[in-house]
Amino acid sequence: MARDVEVLSARARIARALLGGYALAIYVFLFGPIVLLVLFSFNANRYGTFPITGWTFTWYRQAFADYQVHDAVWTTIKVGLQVTGISTVVGTAAAFPLVRSRLPFREGIRIVFILPIMIPGLLIGVSLLVLFTSTFHWTLSPETAVIGQSVYTTPFVILLVAARLQGFDAALERAAADLGADLFQRLRRVVLPLILPAILAGALFAFTLSLDEFIITYFLIGGHNTLPIFIYTQVKFGITPEVNAVASMLLAGSLLLLSLAFVLPQLLRRGRWIVMRARAT
Amino acid sequence: MTASTATVPRRAILPRLGAGLVSYAGFIPAIVLLGLFFLVPLGIIVCYSFWETIDYSVVHHWTSDNYHYFFSVTAYVSTMWATLWVAVLSTALAIGLAFPFAYWLSRYVPKRLRTPLLVLVIVPFWSSYLLRVYSWLTILGEKGVLNRFLEWAGITSHPLSVFLYDRPAVILVLVYLYFPFGALTLYSSIERFDWNQLRAAMDLGASPLQAIFRILVPQIRPGIITAIIFVFIPILGEYLTPQIVGGTGGVMIGNLIVNFFQEAEYTRGAAVSLLVAAFIVVLLVVFRRSLSAKEAYGA
Repeated sequence: MARDVEVLSARARIARALLGGYALAIYVFLFGPIVLLVLFSFNANRYGTFPITGWTFTWYRQAFADYQVHDAVWTTIKVGLQVTGISTVVGTAAAFPLVRSRLPFREGIRIVFILPIMIPGLLIGVSLLVLFTSTFHWTLSPETAVIGQSVYTTPFVILLVAARLQGFDAALERAAADLGADLFQRLRRVVLPLILPAILAGALFAFTLSLDEFIITYFLIGGHNTLPIFIYTQVKFGITPEVNAVASMLLAGSLLLLSLAFVLPQLLRRGRWIVMRARAT
Repeated sequence: MTASTATVPRRAILPRLGAGLVSYAGFIPAIVLLGLFFLVPLGIIVCYSFWETIDYSVVHHWTSDNYHYFFSVTAYVSTMWATLWVAVLSTALAIGLAFPFAYWLSRYVPKRLRTPLLVLVIVPFWSSYLLRVYSWLTILGEKGVLNRFLEWAGITSHPLSVFLYDRPAVILVLVYLYFPFGALTLYSSIERFDWNQLRAAMDLGASPLQAIFRILVPQIRPGIITAIIFVFIPILGEYLTPQIVGGTGGVMIGNLIVNFFQEAEYTRGAAVSLLVAAFIVVLLVVFRRSLSAKEAYGA
């Protein structure tokens, strides 16, 4: 690459500088609104906007004291954990035949599995609303929202685990079979450790998606609130610094989970490698 | 298949069939979940769109009235067209803005910095969708940053509300929401491009822009098509963006669907939903190759 830089003509250097400036502008565009949101949540100004009249935690204290926020946080976590459980188990189980089986309809099934990601969530929400209320005559509750969100998050787990299953060397499993391991042992001792990082990433990913999901939940949760629904109902009354504070916390939560989803699998892999090397010596 | 099974002794087929069934067993929970709670509801929506609502209850009487009704109301039809052009324009802008960015990232950025810089673009994409829409209120709103700036600069004396509650605001926020996806998809196909081809074209007398559009762009066409499909489709079903920043001036078809269902006009809502779903399925079938969402979402 260093060689390329040398042969760049003056015109190419200008192009590079212009594009560099452009990219910088793009990053400002992407992060500006989010940064302002967080900034205003610490601003003493009551209107949640410029000018900055001082720094304060007041809005966070207010948010913590608000019982509606409490309720929303608990519902969000409860729903999130259930969705994570369902989509991790269902998604992991489905990834195996998706990658391994050589039976017909695999392609069709694959498309059905991916479709919930591609169909707008709005359509999933309204069609489940009709199913639950008109066909089943169920009362809407956080549990119905859990089902709706799982439809949307499970395909992500399937894709993540399937990608990992496809990536690993099937010879390892055959070797284990040759050495006398039965199906259960092979799964437990060979396959599971190898795909565990992907399952974990899938679980964290599902939790993050559930945390932030709006439209499906909006239709299916009935009288309850998750954090995004709570924020949405508050937005109707205009932006307030308290909502900014709740929003910033939600943002921090999902970014934390997201970085865990990226970093943890790699740590796991590295950790295992270190253990293996230690055993080998 | 038949030829090979004929040569295998009968005994061997049964265990193999059994193993096949076992290997299929993993599908069962997913088929229950996605069949019962994804395909069945979609089927019900199809039925509902051809049934009637009389006195708030659904009557199983086959009719195409719901569709006739939708196309007979001018406001609905114009909203449908508006949704299409907003989606086309936002997609074009998001991908048009993403192209130079992806070009810069894969051509001018040292290799070790590329992944972190790309992740930096994707992070907002995976962080809360609602908050990303909401955050624009703090900029475009009446007490927002933009108005404060204009007042401070002396351009206006009172806050303007023109920035919000119309199509331009919707398009701006949609571009903001979907830019990362365009950038990610375009980058992953430009990354594989051999830059020597561009140099060769320019040595042979092509201008840089000619070289880009005649050599680079045709080679990354699949990437561009994937990006277009995956940005365009979710925009068709947008509800939140027009609701929060679009107001009455920025209504899209998603808002119509929600309104129908909130007013318990399930059959009419189902008809509009089915129109959107059918349009999306046609798009997906036409670009079937792009169905491998794996590379796009798995990244």
